[in-house]
Formats: sequence, structure tokens, C-alpha cells
Amino acid sequence: MKRVLIQDTNGKLKKETREFLVSLNSQLRDRGLSSEVQTLMAADIGVYNRGIALKVLPEGFTYVNLEQKHIPEIIEKTLLKGEQVAGIAREGSVGQMRIVLRNCGVIDPESLEDYIAHDGYQGLARALELGPEKVVEEMKKSGLRGRGGAGFPTWMKWNITRGVQGNEKYIICNGDEGDPGAYMDRSVLEGDPHSVIEGMMIGAIAIGATKGFFYIRAEYPLAVERIQKGIDICYSRGLLGKNILGSSFSFDIEIRLGAGAFVCGEETALIASVEGLRGYPRPRPPFPSVKGLWGNPTVINNVETLANVSYILCKGGEAFGKIGVEGSTGTKVFALTGKVRNSGLVEVPMGISLRDIVFEIGGGVLDNRAIKAIQTGGPSGGVIPEQFFDTPVGYESLQKLGSIMGSGGMIVLDENDCAVDISKFYLGFCVDESCGKCAPCRVGGTQMLAILKKISHGKAEEEDLARLSQIAQAMQKASLCGLGQTAPNPVLSTLKYFMSEYRAHVIDHKCPAGKCSSLVSYRITREKCTGCGMCARVCPADAISGSRQDKYTIDAVKCISCGQCFDVCKFTAVSRQ
Amino acid sequence: MAMTKEDLLAIKNKTLAGQPKNWIRVGYSTCGIAAGAKEVLEVLSGEVKARGLELQVKKCGCLGLCSAEPLVEVSVEGAPRVIYGKVNKDVAHKIMDEHVCQKRLVEGHIYEI
Repeated sequence: MKRVLIQDTNGKLKKETREFLVSLNSQLRDRGLSSEVQTLMAADIGVYNRGIALKVLPEGFTYVNLEQKHIPEIIEKTLLKGEQVAGIAREGSVGQMRIVLRNCGVIDPESLEDYIAHDGYQGLARALELGPEKVVEEMKKSGLRGRGGAGFPTWMKWNITRGVQGNEKYIICNGDEGDPGAYMDRSVLEGDPHSVIEGMMIGAIAIGATKGFFYIRAEYPLAVERIQKGIDICYSRGLLGKNILGSSFSFDIEIRLGAGAFVCGEETALIASVEGLRGYPRPRPPFPSVKGLWGNPTVINNVETLANVSYILCKGGEAFGKIGVEGSTGTKVFALTGKVRNSGLVEVPMGISLRDIVFEIGGGVLDNRAIKAIQTGGPSGGVIPEQFFDTPVGYESLQKLGSIMGSGGMIVLDENDCAVDISKFYLGFCVDESCGKCAPCRVGGTQMLAILKKISHGKAEEEDLARLSQIAQAMQKASLCGLGQTAPNPVLSTLKYFMSEYRAHVIDHKCPAGKCSSLVSYRITREKCTGCGMCARVCPADAISGSRQDKYTIDAVKCISCGQCFDVCKFTAVSRQ
Repeated sequence: MAMTKEDLLAIKNKTLAGQPKNWIRVGYSTCGIAAGAKEVLEVLSGEVKARGLELQVKKCGCLGLCSAEPLVEVSVEGAPRVIYGKVNKDVAHKIMDEHVCQKRLVEGHIYEI
């Protein structure tokens, strides 16, 4: 039986799609094919902004920009003969590529057998055969760089620690994921815990560690539970403990819970936290690879990095190195959120354009609004406006634009998002999370936030904009750790790309996006108002009154400028100034 | 008993040989559970039992499309393998009735990832 899945276009082309389906059904009936072909609406067949689209199963042909005149040919060629119709077939589709998420949604995360059946622990077996030196070599071939944000080559990190003398060496998995809107690590820990455990064991072989720690934030109870179950089952089956897989390699793993402080994602603060001390960073050098946990050489790898490691050792570094682009190999998982149609996790090969991620995989902006920019890298990153969306994804390419790859948060911003408001949000996050140890971060952050608040209230002067970048540069240079050094990035990048918006706030006392509530006011145009009363019903401040005859008015004193009446009015009677 | 490299291969082959022909996977990470995967899982397992079907219902991690959770992937003989999103109790019943038993895909909930 053939199946024809028709894309639900979410309101757009609703009538045309319906008519197309009716016509298809009647032609199938005329030819006596109704019982051999099932036609149905699907929520999403992965095609966006290409008119009416359908997919035929089991062949998997996707046809786009369809009109009713195409129906006979589709029936004749595809439904009867199983051939593809030229001209309407979708071309150049952009897909995801799953390496880190290879087992997520496929295996039972609590079953060791299921993981082993999907090539689990083969990488470990191979690493034991190769020995430390060759494992590092394999990693060098793969070109894998740290997925936590900074992008330091993993093989180099391992090689440094391997070369340092020490009685005891440690490996720590950094699962202290704290960027707003990012949850790649949680998903991997919950969906495929053994891949991370295996990656850590391979790292331990490379550097000669005997003990590993998972540092996971306590807000991830399910991730902690599944990792703990994974560790327990490994001990019971002899995959952890003494003489693993009949070799001389012995290794133990423990979990440490983080209390949710953002600064503990910074490696020196993380080490202090694992030691049971307050999560304060300390100046580097000495780097943890030389002097880390309890003064011993320590490697800290991100969750996603370790999930890559088990894949690389299983499939070979050379094969992995061919994925992606020069300097940024492999794939990257992004947590695509914000004003995007398909929010969720996407894993794409490096080198894919930002436009493909947002529009082809993400399905474009919600409610068909205009896109403004994307924000990557969380509070340490920056915004990338639409004119740069053709940039290929990579560590250096994003850095050139004033943002960073970061751990993988990608937030889509539309025309209703205000640049000042966004930088205020991210800076506010860093001010809250600043540990307070060094003055540049503690004082600088607070001062910058005060200026941003002044701007959003329309009370700033032109000099404030210069002051803002001056403090930002001082913070970047003088802060003790990564948190303070990168906290000004969202402000600097919005200043760079959306200066006109800042100036509109400062000089004209206007917020072009209509987000900063002290700078916008709403009124109802009497001539356009139909008296339906929708605005009065949604108003949370009870500021709108009137009746069908008298029409409605907004009480400016009670109004909190939330804009709900503006969004809800179907007759554009509510105007924003 | 400590495991050896040969044991790994043996487990792999044994597990692969024992893979069920018909299965349903339910996304059971924090995102799925928050969206109601527990209820969906209960309905699906309950129906399999009540109807005496040879069908494995398995808890899995997240497939990634969080905006369409709970996600359920279905593979049964006689129908193509598809992923259903925004599955609730009613849709779960429909999946059992229409997809599993009648081999007809359920309208309006198929997602491509």
C-alpha cells in the first residue's frame, strides 16, 4: 500500500491544500485506487515555504510547489510504477547528521545490552589495544575540538596531561550546563549515558587516569539517575573497576552534583566545587592539565566531546576528520530555540550555513514574522544578524562575526525582539551569576547593567554608549575567569550590529521593536475600533474600558505597556508609539 | 564475571538476533515526560497487553524535536516506519487502532526529523 503524506502548511495555503487533497482523492477514486493508496495530512514532512508539498511512502519521494495539474502524473508514475516525477522533486535537501545523538531515541538508555548492540564499548576495546600514545594519535587525526565552548583541540589537552608526571591523574566530565536555552548535554546524558561513560574511559586510558568524576548539575535529576544506573551496571559487568576487559586498565567513576552556579562550568571553579570547596575560580596558569583536582593533573571534557570520543575510537579518527570543514571537524549539536517553528535539538555537520539550520531544519520563524538575528553561545556569545546567515558554522567563522560557537545554544530572534532588551537579559544573567571574587566582573557588570537599564527607560545620554563599550573592554581584559571576560560579548555585539537601535532609545526615546515598555504607549483609533472588546478581555491591568456602542479606550495611567491588546486586535485599531 | 572483548561481540550478536520485528519507541527524557510521555507509555503498554500483541514498547531518549513531544516512533510489519508527535492519550489509542491493527497511518501527527 502506498501512502501520500501532505504537508500541513499551518494556515498558509490552507484552502489550496485542502482542494489539492480533495482532487487527489477523487482522481484516485475514479481510477479505483482508493483502497491501495492512503492519503493523509501530516504535521511536518520537513519541507518549508515551498507551497503545497507531499511525500510518498515507502519510496520517500518528496514533491514541492505542487499544483492540481501535477496530480495525474504523480498517480501515473509514482503511485502506479514507483518512479520519481522529474521537475517537482525536492532538490538539495539539507539533513541532520547524527553522531553525538546517534543513539538518542534509538536505544533504551538504561540497557547495557542495547548500547552494546549499537557498537557500544567497541571504542573502549580498541583503545585498550592501541594504548595511550596511539589513542592520542587517533584523536589528532579526528581533529576533534572541545564542544564546551572554547574549542581547544582534545588531543592536545590529553597529550599535555599524558606528559605530566603524577601519582594520580583525573578526568572530569563537565555536565554543568548553564547557558539559558541550552540543553544538549542533558539530552545526551539522559538518552545515551553509556556513550559518555565510554568516552571518559577512553580519555582515562590516554592520559593514564585511574579515577573519573561526572560533574552534573542537581537540576538534572533524570540525567544523574541514568548515569548512576549506567555506572552501576558497568561495575556489575566488569566494565568498571579492576582489569577492565581483561586488561591491566583499572578505572573508577563517581558522580558529583553541582548546585547550579553558572561559574562552576568554568574549569578551575568546577575543580574547587568537586573538591568540596566554594565554587571560586582561580588564576591560570597553572592549568588543570598540570595542576588540577587536589593538585594532580586533570583533564576536563564536556559531555558532547566525550560522546564524540567513543564514536571516533569505534569508527576511526580519519573517517571522523572527513566530516565537517578544515579546522572544525565533525558535527555540532545545537539547541535551537526562541521564535523558531521547530524548536529542539539539531545535529548538523560543521560547515553548514546558519540559514540552512534556521530555515531548512528549523522551519523558519514562528508566525511568519521577519527574522532579526540569532544569538549563539549564550551569555558568552553574541548576536548574528540576518545578513551573515550564509556563514558556515565553525569555531573561527562565528568568532569573526563577534559571536562564538559556545556550547550550542542558538536562539532565534524576530522583529519584535529589541537589541537593548536582549543584551540586558544576558548581562543580567551574568551579573546574577558572578561569583564576586574579582572587581572587574563584580563592579563592571553591575555598572554596565545600570547603563542598559537607563537606556531602556529612555533616560540615557549619548556618552553612556561610549561608557558602555569602555567598561566592556576593561572587563574583557581584567576579569579573572571566562565568565567575566566574556560577559560583555552580548552587549558589544549588539552595539556593533544594532547601534541604530541603541541610538533610537537614547536620542529619540523610542524602542523600534516595541519591547521596552517605558518607551512605548498604546492607543486605540476610534475609527478602526469595531467594539469587539477582545483588547479589554486580554488586558491584565484592567486598563481598557468601553462598550460596543462607545468603542474602547485605554487608560494611560493604568496601562503597563505589555502590548497584549496590540497583538490581539484583528482590525489594527490599536496603535503603538 | 569480568567481561572480555569476545563477550562484547557475543552480547551484540545475541541482542541483535533477539530484536523484535514490531516495536514502538517512546521518547522518555525530561522533555518527553514533561509533555506527557508517561501517560502515553501507559496507554500503549496497556493496549499491547489487552490485545495480546507481539509488539515491544520501549522507553528511549529524546529524538530532538522537543516542540512536538511526546514523540513516538512506530515500526510494524505492513506499514512504513514513522514518527508521531504531539501524542496524547487519544492519539496513542489511534496509533494502536489504526496504525498497528489496521495498518493505516494516523492523520495529522506525523513528523519528519
